[in-house]
Amino acid sequence: MLRCGSRILSKYTLIITEKPNAAIRIAAALDAEGKVKKKVDSGVPYYLAKRGESVVVVPALGHLYTVAGKKRGQSDYPVFDFQWVPRYLVERGASRLGTWLKVISRLSENANRLIDACDYDIEGSVIGYSILKYACSGKEKNAQRMKFSTLTKEELEKSYTELLSSLNFSLIEAGLARHEVDWLYGINLSRALTRAAEKYSEKYATLSTGRVQGPTLKFLATREKSIKCFVPTPYWTIKAKVIVDDAVFEAWYEKNQVETKVEAQAIVDSCRSKTAEIKNVITRTIQQHPPLPFDLGSLQGEAYRLFRYTPMYTLNIAQRLYLNALISYPRTSSQKLPPEIGYTEILKKLGRIAKYESQAYELLARSALKPTEGKKSDPAHPAIYPTGNLPQKRLSSSERKLWDLIVKRFMAIFVEPALMQTTKIIIDINGNKFHLRGKCTLKEGWLRFYSPYMKPESDLVPLLKKGEKISVNRIIMEDKFTTPPSRYNPSSLLKRMEKEEIGTKATRARIIQTLNTREYIRKEKIEVTDLGFEVIDVLRKYCPAVVSLELTRKLEERMKRIQQGKEKRRQVLHDTIEILKPVIERLKEEEQVIGARLSQALMKTRLEDRVVSICPVCKKGKLVILKSRKTGKRFIGCTNYFEGNCKTSFPLPQKGVAKLSGTVCRDCSWNTVKIWIRGKRPWNLCFNPECSSKDKRRKKVEMQSL
Amino acid sequence: MKCKVCDREIVEDDFCSMHLKAFKNLVERYDCWRKALRISWKEYLSEIRHNPLTGECTKEVASYLIENEEKRNGEEI
Repeated sequence: MLRCGSRILSKYTLIITEKPNAAIRIAAALDAEGKVKKKVDSGVPYYLAKRGESVVVVPALGHLYTVAGKKRGQSDYPVFDFQWVPRYLVERGASRLGTWLKVISRLSENANRLIDACDYDIEGSVIGYSILKYACSGKEKNAQRMKFSTLTKEELEKSYTELLSSLNFSLIEAGLARHEVDWLYGINLSRALTRAAEKYSEKYATLSTGRVQGPTLKFLATREKSIKCFVPTPYWTIKAKVIVDDAVFEAWYEKNQVETKVEAQAIVDSCRSKTAEIKNVITRTIQQHPPLPFDLGSLQGEAYRLFRYTPMYTLNIAQRLYLNALISYPRTSSQKLPPEIGYTEILKKLGRIAKYESQAYELLARSALKPTEGKKSDPAHPAIYPTGNLPQKRLSSSERKLWDLIVKRFMAIFVEPALMQTTKIIIDINGNKFHLRGKCTLKEGWLRFYSPYMKPESDLVPLLKKGEKISVNRIIMEDKFTTPPSRYNPSSLLKRMEKEEIGTKATRARIIQTLNTREYIRKEKIEVTDLGFEVIDVLRKYCPAVVSLELTRKLEERMKRIQQGKEKRRQVLHDTIEILKPVIERLKEEEQVIGARLSQALMKTRLEDRVVSICPVCKKGKLVILKSRKTGKRFIGCTNYFEGNCKTSFPLPQKGVAKLSGTVCRDCSWNTVKIWIRGKRPWNLCFNPECSSKDKRRKKVEMQSL
Repeated sequence: MKCKVCDREIVEDDFCSMHLKAFKNLVERYDCWRKALRISWKEYLSEIRHNPLTGECTKEVASYLIENEEKRNGEEI
C-alpha cells in the first residue's frame, strides 16, 4: 500500500529509472508544480509526482540482475547452463540490492501502468527489462518506454507524453545475448586459467580473459613484442642555416633520411662555403574544417590529449554531467546533431553564462545554424552536446573542464573553416635541394571558438622570390636512429578497439581497466607484463580462435543482426557453446603445463613490480621490496641473496604502502621509494644510508630542537 | 628445453619466440648498418647493445652473441 500524506494511493503509474539522480529529475520534470515528494522504504528512495494522475518514480542501481551458472557454488568448468539471477545472490557486497528489488517489487503490485525510463541503449534496455520481468512479475510485455537523450525538463516531459508503446525487444535480445555470450566466454576461459595456476602453485589468483579482453591483450602483446625486439637503424639529416635580413632560418635537405654516412658527408662538403639560390616559392591555402561533434570515443580521446584523463575517468565525469542535466547522453557513437535538439535554444541558454555570452550571441546573430557533422550515427542518441542548463551545484575541477570542452566544441561546429597558408621555399645550394617551410593562420574561423583547446599555428618564413640569392651560415649533419613503435596509452588503445570494432562504447574503458587490475599490463604508456605475455601465448597455443579478432567481430556482427531482428539469440548462444566446447577440452587436457607457465609468469610479474633498482653492491642482483617471513617486517633486499652472493638490505617504514616512485634522489641519484601512509602526505624516501640528504636532515632537526 | 637467453620454451634455433624475433631482426638489420657505417658484425652488436633505442630482448640477444663469441675466441686461444 502506498501512502501520499493522508491519502492511500491505490493506483498509479510506476516509472523505473536506471539511477537515483535520473529518478529525481524525472519526478521533478513530471510533477505539475515541480515539487517532488521523496519517500524512503527500507532505505530505498522513491519519488511521488502529481500530474493529473499519480506517478511514482523508483530508481534501480544499474544492473540488478546478472547471468550466473545454474548450479550454485560451482567453481569447476565447463559451465554452459546459466540463468538470470538477482545480483545480490551471487555477488559479494551486493546484499542491499536485495532490499532494492523487494521495494521495486512491492511498488509494482499496485501500479496500473509501468514505464521503463532507463537509458535508451543496450545496457539500459536490459536493466529495465530484467526488473520488469523478474521483480515485477512478468510485466515487461505490457510496459511502455520513455526515450530521451537529456535529463532536461522539456525533453523528459516530451518523452512522457510521447511514450513508446512497448519495449524494444530486439534491442533487449541483443543485450541479453551480449551478456550471455560474454559470460560463457569469460567464466569458462577465466576458470580454466585460474584453476590451472591454482592447481600448480596451490595459491589463488584470479586470471581472467574473455571475448574482447583476449584480442585486446593480443594486439598489445604484438606491439610490445615489436618494441622489445626493435633494432634501430642509423640515418642522417642535413639542415642548412640560411640568413635573410639578419635573421637565421632552417632549411632541410629534400631527403628526410640519408641512409649512409658517406653520402651525407659528401652533401655537406659540397654545400660548404656556397651561396644559396631560391628556386621556387610554393604557397598553398588550406581550409581547416571544424571538428566533428563529440561521440564518446572522440570525447575520451580529446580529454586524454588535453587533460590526461583516462577513458574510464572521462566516462565517469560525463555520466555525472549527464545526470546533472548539463550534457546529453554520453554513451553514443553518433557524430550528428539533428535540428530537433534546438540549437538556438541551447545557445540562448549558454549566452546567459558570462564566459560564453559573446560567442553564443555571435552565433545567434547568424542567419542559419548548420553544424559540421560526421558519418557515424546512432539510432538511439545524437552526438554529445550541452543542454545549456546552468550547474545547480558546484562542479569539481574535472567536471568543469570536461563541460567547458563540450560547450566549446558545440559552438565550434557551427563556425566556418579556418584558413591556413603554407609556404615551401625550395633552395638550391650547389645542386642540392633544401626546403624551408612555414605556415600561418589567415583566418581563425572555428579556432577562435575552440580556444584554448586548439590554437592557430604560426611558423613564419621570410618573403623571398625566385632567383634571389641568400647566404648560408652553416650546414649541419645530424646522426639519428629510427625509433621503435610507440606504446599504446589508454586513449590510443580505445581508438584501436573502436577501429577493430570490438567491445562497445560502454565496455571498452572497463576492459582496459580490467587488463590493468589483472596485472596483464602496467603503466599509462602501456607495457605488457610477463604474465600478460604468458596468458596470450597460452591462449594462442591452445585456443587461437579465442583471441582472434575475426571471431569477435563475427559475434559483434551477429549481435547487431539480433538487434535488427535478423538473427535469433538462441542460435548465437548455441553456436557459442559449440565453439567453446573443444576449446575447454583442450585447456583441461593441458592444465598442468598451462598452470606451470602461468604460475611462474605471475610470480615473475609480481616480483618485477617490487623491483627498485640494480643492487649497487653486487651490481648483478636487483633490489626488491620484500617481507620477512620470520619477522613480518618489510625491507629492501637484493635478489642475489637467494644465490648466497649478496646480503645487501635496507630498512623501510613498516606502515603504509611502499612502491617505486619513478624519481631519483636529488643528492645521491639512487631510486627512491614512495611511501603512502593514511592521513599523511605521500613522500619519497631515499633508502641510501650514506646519502648526504640524511646529514642535512639530521642537522635541521638538531637546529629545530635548540 | 629452455631458450639460450631466458627460461622460456624454445620455438626454433634454441630461442624462445621473443628472442627468436629479436635475433632475426638483428640479422636482417645488419645490412643497413653495414651500408650506413661500414662496420663489422662484432662492432654492430656492440653498437646495438649500447643504443638506448634498442629493444630489451634485442639487447639480451646481442649480449648473448657477444659473450659467446668471446668464449669461443677464448677457447681457441
